[in-house]
Amino acid sequence: MTTPNSPIDDLGQLMRAAQQGDPAAYLELLHKVTPRIRQIVMRQRGFAGSADVEDLVQDVLLSLHAVRATYDSARPFVPWLLAIVRNRLVDGARRYARTSGREVQIDEDDVTFSEPATNLDIEELGDAEALRHAVRALPEGQREAIQLLKLEERSLKEAAEVSGTSVGALKVATHRAMATLRRTLGTKRT
Amino acid sequence: MNTEHLIERLAKDLTPVEPLRRPGRRAAVWLLGTALYIAILAVAMSALGFATHAGDARLLLPQLAAIVAGVLAATAAVASVVPGYSKHVLVWPPIAAALVWLGTLIVGSLSQRQELVTILSAEHEWLCVAQIVIGSAPLVAVLAMMLRRGAPLNPALTAALAAIAVGILANVGACASTPHANDAITLVWHGGAILVLVLVCAWGARFVLTWGAARRGVSA
Repeated sequence: MTTPNSPIDDLGQLMRAAQQGDPAAYLELLHKVTPRIRQIVMRQRGFAGSADVEDLVQDVLLSLHAVRATYDSARPFVPWLLAIVRNRLVDGARRYARTSGREVQIDEDDVTFSEPATNLDIEELGDAEALRHAVRALPEGQREAIQLLKLEERSLKEAAEVSGTSVGALKVATHRAMATLRRTLGTKRT
Repeated sequence: MNTEHLIERLAKDLTPVEPLRRPGRRAAVWLLGTALYIAILAVAMSALGFATHAGDARLLLPQLAAIVAGVLAATAAVASVVPGYSKHVLVWPPIAAALVWLGTLIVGSLSQRQELVTILSAEHEWLCVAQIVIGSAPLVAVLAMMLRRGAPLNPALTAALAAIAVGILANVGACASTPHANDAITLVWHGGAILVLVLVCAWGARFVLTWGAARRGVSA
């Protein structure tokens, strides 16, 4: 890896080397710019959770990687990077607005009711071994979501930090896992 | 995948890339090809029986303004997919040149005092519209391919600039091959065709100039 004292310690020069295929220079460049990108994202999206911030940072890094050929070494690097960051933040905000427009917030219902009918499923799912098997058979992402959220009873935010994925992705994985478990265990019962 | 893993993967999978040439040079290459194509188109149309009026002094000023607007719009479109260029600096020069072109046509129209019915019933102008819209298609396609190599920062703006460049230069070709004694007719029919082209391209940009296309082969 290129050391900070090497001739190519300038961001623009590092990108020029990266365009020529130097992975060490590119690694150094990405390590140098990522904290700056994270700082900008956190400043602009103060309300976002850490998982959402990382999602945006990764989005910027992927975009930077995809259009690295557009960098002109005769021009300053930082305005080039900032234009990409700004664009991805605006796109991210639009995406968020579209997604949240389709989501409906509902209050969490109590999981236990006195009516016997509401407890039938729990009684019927008494086969712990079958449940363990069904959980083990889930895809890795779904299994991790069930483990963190349902078995360890962590909050969405904590689970997202532990798994390194976004809250949204965890919700989807949990929903799919629960649907699979219902289907699997339901099939076994019938 | 966490950010550290992503960075390592991007660096590991790094392949050399050819940096894009400066926007001015890329636009110049496209403009050269476009000039050749429009010249061939104009000569072909002339061979079909239309007189060439390129030397007519009265037509010279609007056409010069149109060519300048086309060149500036093409350069701005190519520069708009390179991060770091100011959007405002890019947009105003071609708009100013396009306004000069429109201005010359409006002044000519006012002095000729043509009735609206006469303007709208100029059915032979459909040929010009076809020449501008259909003749522009290959130019739009080539420019779109060039633009897709860049960053889709403002797809609608980029596409609108590209459409202005293509449409206004195709208009020059149409004016060179077909007699246009009436500025009002040119303004309404050619201007209308260019406006349609700009609107269609600006709308379609969301499907062509996307980050998905730019990121093909790159994923988290």
